[in-house]
Amino acid sequence: MLELDRVSLPESSEALRVDARAFLQQHRDLIGEPNSDFTTGHSPEFSAALGARGWIGMTWPKSFGGSERTFFDRYVVTEELLAAGAPVSAHWIADRQSGSLLLKFGSEKQKQTYLPAITRGESYFSIGMSEPNTGSDLASVRTAAKKVDGGWVINGSKIWTTDAHRNHFLIALVRTSPAQGENRHVGLSQIIVDLRNDGAQVRPIRNMAGGEDFNEIVFQDVLVPEDRIVGEAGNGWKQVTSELSYERSGPERFLSAFRVLVEFVRLVGPNPLPHEAAVIGRAAGHLMTLRKMSASVAGMLNQGKQVDVEAALVKELGNNYEKLLPEMTRLALSSNRSGRAAWRSAFEQTQLLSPSFTLRGGTREILRGVIARGLGLR
Amino acid sequence: MSDNNMNEQLSIIIDTANRLFGDSVDKGLLDAAERGEFAQSLWASVVATGFHAVGSKDSGTGVVELFALLDVAGRHAAPLPLAETLLANAWVGLSEGVSSIGLWEGQRITDVPWGRSSTRVIGIRPDSAECVIVEQVEVIERSANLAGEPRDVVRVPEGASRHTIRLNHGNAWSQLALARAVQTAGALSTVLDIALQYAGEREQFGRSLSKFQAIQHSLAVQAAEVAAARRAATGAVDALDTPRAAAEIAAAKIRAGDAATMVGEAAHQVLGAIGYTHEHRLHHFTRRAWAWRDEFGNEFDWQRSLGAMIAGVGADHVWSFVTGR
Ligand SMILES: Cc1cc2nc3c(=O)[nH]c(=O)nc-3n(C[C@H](O)[C@H](O)[C@H](O)COP(=O)(O)OP(=O)(O)OC[C@H]3O[C@@H](n4cnc5c(N)ncnc54)[C@H](O)[C@@H]3O)c2cc1C
Repeated sequence: MLELDRVSLPESSEALRVDARAFLQQHRDLIGEPNSDFTTGHSPEFSAALGARGWIGMTWPKSFGGSERTFFDRYVVTEELLAAGAPVSAHWIADRQSGSLLLKFGSEKQKQTYLPAITRGESYFSIGMSEPNTGSDLASVRTAAKKVDGGWVINGSKIWTTDAHRNHFLIALVRTSPAQGENRHVGLSQIIVDLRNDGAQVRPIRNMAGGEDFNEIVFQDVLVPEDRIVGEAGNGWKQVTSELSYERSGPERFLSAFRVLVEFVRLVGPNPLPHEAAVIGRAAGHLMTLRKMSASVAGMLNQGKQVDVEAALVKELGNNYEKLLPEMTRLALSSNRSGRAAWRSAFEQTQLLSPSFTLRGGTREILRGVIARGLGLR
Repeated sequence: MSDNNMNEQLSIIIDTANRLFGDSVDKGLLDAAERGEFAQSLWASVVATGFHAVGSKDSGTGVVELFALLDVAGRHAAPLPLAETLLANAWVGLSEGVSSIGLWEGQRITDVPWGRSSTRVIGIRPDSAECVIVEQVEVIERSANLAGEPRDVVRVPEGASRHTIRLNHGNAWSQLALARAVQTAGALSTVLDIALQYAGEREQFGRSLSKFQAIQHSLAVQAAEVAAARRAATGAVDALDTPRAAAEIAAAKIRAGDAATMVGEAAHQVLGAIGYTHEHRLHHFTRRAWAWRDEFGNEFDWQRSLGAMIAGVGADHVWSFVTGR
């Protein structure tokens, strides 16, 4: 697991990079102020344009609107979007995670219902895992769905649900039957909630950066049709853990702070002082390495391999890097340096987002636990 | 050669090297080497196996095999100037003797690994393809690095022959830097193995250390650092024959150096006092990883070099620089 495959991105994927840059150039008016954090810009218009280009659900079968491309191709397109600071948050989760989950476990009808609209960049999904009393210990979820005539009735609440106030669907992890003694992994299911029509109450929660991205969702006797269970009732634990690997190894786990580096380079100019050059070089050296590691994982995904531990390695290193990068640039600049406005804006945005880097998608401590398990320590 | 044959040859080299170094590089040999005794019989086995020629002209092997061998040598802390000999043999012609490479400063070549045991010493510079080759080696100063590996000063006699090392990409200095990054990745792999093994065996509070979450997390971070150092190093080796060589080597040296600092510190913490003893073998690997950070350019040197390249292309091309496209 410590010997990541020595892959380099194939030329066909590199050719796609050229197309991606042309696309970004063409749609630069939709980008607005660039921010390389994947949760920051929400633009249905941009997502629709991306979908029209065939770059959402890139690896999925054509019969569901996908392009049957490789994970290398997807890697290249996603990193280009992030590096350019494009507003990708609307479709991001649906593309990365929810759609892939439905493809793997969903019924034929679910795939036909949901996937084509996702690939068009028109249908957006949220992740319904966390609850007020359930964070890292995911198997402790209490939100319950009860089988009734004509469907399932959901009661309980979800929290920190990114973009639930503007997305269309939620895939919620719920309890559909009791745990069996110590074994809490049984009796969990994943269920699709229509956030706009099923009657779940969504309330945005303001974060410390001033944004309103995540939400609380309350379910009071919310009735959803029978066919909303993803895969099999009771198979939720296995499904949710497989979903997590997609969530952890991508370039969004190390590019969140990239704009800070760009503005730092702009600020110090073509002839930086030695310590300024060193900051750039260190940041770039780590980034170049993380890209290789993430591409190695993309190669493993191509081969259908299990990637939990490798994905955790990338996220662990990537999140640390995202936190270190702004700090290195800050310490290299005098606080009365003139012309720092653009750098400072990128820095401050990133600094305020930075606590979330090692929380969202599994905390640092949980990831270290995953790696430790891979090392045979637990 | 087909890909399969190539991989097969590579794994034979790696397996053979692991056996060779595994059998002979033990604590006793490492201590003897630090007392200044050259590992003569180990060297003889290296030559007998033909390893001194790996990567040389007409050997049927190239840089991939050469650096793979250095990785294994790093894993075992093999006390020989193997990187220097292999690269010298590849650049200026095969010799059965011990070759070494140091920094050419006018009448002297400094920081020459095992200069005192070498029959040929090449002086190179960070920013030049020109080198000097000394075949009558006279050591004028003896010294050693943090790991006790000999680092000597060799006199450059009048009329020593000059030579130009022509590489398609990158230069001699940067390949030595990459060699240190690869060796570091190897040594750190062993550091992690030692720490993992110890954490599994040592018991405190009625259970093995590996059951304590603080220890698990420390080992997880060490593992991530080792994986990063290894991937950075293999990536740079694979880029040697491309215009990306200079940038990728810089990245590898920077990344391996950062990993050495982190893993060295954390592994010693896991091993407690026993790892601080001279008796324990851990320090042979951690001291090497620490020492190698400073050889053929430390992190700061390579950060500046890489940073200058990027500043040169400008803010709007940082990304295309990083991606090489
Ligand atoms: C910006 C943002 C967006 C998010 N979006 C979503 C979303 O869309 N959908 C969703 O479901 N969730 C989302 N989350 C929630 C996220 O998944 C949780 O924050 C995360 O799983 C941790 O849960 P918690 O916050 O309750 O912290 P807790 O689990 O209470 O943990 C608090 C601290 O204790 C540590 N800790 C917990 N257990 C252990 C242990 N066994 N050993 C050692 N340390 C431990 C944690 O690592 C952490 O440092 C989001 C979070 C953020 C910050």
